Amino acid sequence: MKKKKNWNLIIGSLMTGCMILFMLLGLFYTPYDPEAMDASSKLAGISSAHLMGCDNFGRDILSRVLKGSGTTLFVAAGTVAIGTLVGIFIGALTGYYGGILDEVLMRIIDALFAFPSILLALVFISLIGPGKYNVIVALGIAFIPSFSRIVRSQFLYQKNMDYVSSAKLQGASAFRIMFVHILPNTLPVLSSSIMIGFNNAVLAEAGMSYLGIGVQPPDASLGRMLSEAQSYLVTAPGFALFPGLIIILMVLGFSLLAEGISHAGD
Amino acid sequence: MKYAVQKIVSFVMTLCLVSFLVFAAFAVIPGDPALSKLGTDATPSQLAALREEMGLNRPLLVRFADWAVSFVQGDMGTSYSYDRPVSGMILDKLPITLTLAVMAFLLTIMIAVPLGIYAARHEGGKVDYLIYCINQVTMAVPPFFLGILMTFFFGLVLKWFTPGGYVSYQTDVPGFVRYLFFPALAIALPKAAMALKLLRSSVIHETRQDYARTAYSRGNNTNQVLYRHILKNALIPVVTFLGMALADMIAGSIIIEQVFSIPGLGRILMTSISGRDYPVVQAIIVWIAVLVLVVNLIVDLVYRIIDPRIRME
Repeated sequence: MKKKKNWNLIIGSLMTGCMILFMLLGLFYTPYDPEAMDASSKLAGISSAHLMGCDNFGRDILSRVLKGSGTTLFVAAGTVAIGTLVGIFIGALTGYYGGILDEVLMRIIDALFAFPSILLALVFISLIGPGKYNVIVALGIAFIPSFSRIVRSQFLYQKNMDYVSSAKLQGASAFRIMFVHILPNTLPVLSSSIMIGFNNAVLAEAGMSYLGIGVQPPDASLGRMLSEAQSYLVTAPGFALFPGLIIILMVLGFSLLAEGISHAGD
Repeated sequence: MKYAVQKIVSFVMTLCLVSFLVFAAFAVIPGDPALSKLGTDATPSQLAALREEMGLNRPLLVRFADWAVSFVQGDMGTSYSYDRPVSGMILDKLPITLTLAVMAFLLTIMIAVPLGIYAARHEGGKVDYLIYCINQVTMAVPPFFLGILMTFFFGLVLKWFTPGGYVSYQTDVPGFVRYLFFPALAIALPKAAMALKLLRSSVIHETRQDYARTAYSRGNNTNQVLYRHILKNALIPVVTFLGMALADMIAGSIIIEQVFSIPGLGRILMTSISGRDYPVVQAIIVWIAVLVLVVNLIVDLVYRIIDPRIRME
């Protein structure tokens, strides 16, 4: 796609911007109460009153999607925050110091890394139970291995650079060298893995909530809506279609944006 | 040979480590298995006796060694909820999940390799651009939503299969494979999109290398250069990706099984997680870990065959 214009960046930021606005709107305003049931509009189709129709309890789907996308973004952001922060810490220590600490931690990280992260998250959920915050913790822990590895390899590469030696000669502490000098230089690599991680978190949260072990009611969740909608595919296809579309738009926008940024950096 | 031995040793070590981590995780959870088995009105002496019987008083490492030995012998403990041996509950489900993952894997290769090569050969063309667009969207679709869309479109509208009409492999193998086709496709498509993208850029990268130019200048035509020289190198990163993808597919089939009501490992895993039936959860997780690690081992060994430059680290 050797176009002059960076379409990925343009479309990606537009889509991401719209999705963030959509989610912010959901925080402050929903056309109806997302929990309000109304027997008369059960599985109602698309109308001017209900732009996306109603679900099996007569709840307004647009309101629930607005609310649910907020939950999804919140969980994804929390997950990535845990994964990144702990990953930076482990990766920095093992990459910078090496030695026995590195050997032991990396053995464990490698063993966990071989494991699909959704499975790790399932193990944690079965230990600590479902719910919005538990999903963040479970997914966050499951994301630590991959972030640690990325940060570690960056630190291994950076620690022999001249700027690090000169900082050492100036008497900077190891902590200062790691987090003030080296860390900012890992940002280009780290930021793209954060974006990929964010998308994986959105997909993982949706998957777990779909399985019924993620976000629990009364919190609306896109994944959960999809699992409820599955029995009504014939009578109300929109019930499944809209939450799914929102997930796709979220992930698509973000991945285009990530790709656009990395192209712009070249 | 030395390489293979080294890989197998590290495979066994990783397997021990992973299963110990899983075992330890389930051993430290709050909540007493003896208490949950007997109920809250059990007397302290009954509890103590059962704890003794279940071996809960012994040190963690001893319990792990015991558990690991009996696991290898095929005894995976007893389900809390059903009071049945776990092995009987999961061993006949294993082929279902495995078939699903392998079918998804084959579909991924069948979709990604030809299209990836085609896109690379026609870089910048209309079809390449079309594939790029479809690819970006496909990568963004959660597999379970793809499954729901397929249920709706192929199942309910076109009636190519009966949603929920799972056919057991014990009675009808062709019917079983036919029912698994769409679930496998739902798992495969997003992975195929990623593999395709990787293969395309890898082929394009290799095409610009000196050895490719040399091969052209010796008078080879595009096909000869592509299939004799470029592809060998271009496939290396793709094989790494496919190995990880297969591991993901085994885990991903848990979700897809729910979408298509397939009674595989995922189904029992879900009921056991919500029922806090830890021996079952533990056994399934360890089984999936074994599958994943075997896949990684095979990838490492295949790697060595396609790229003899890889020596021991």
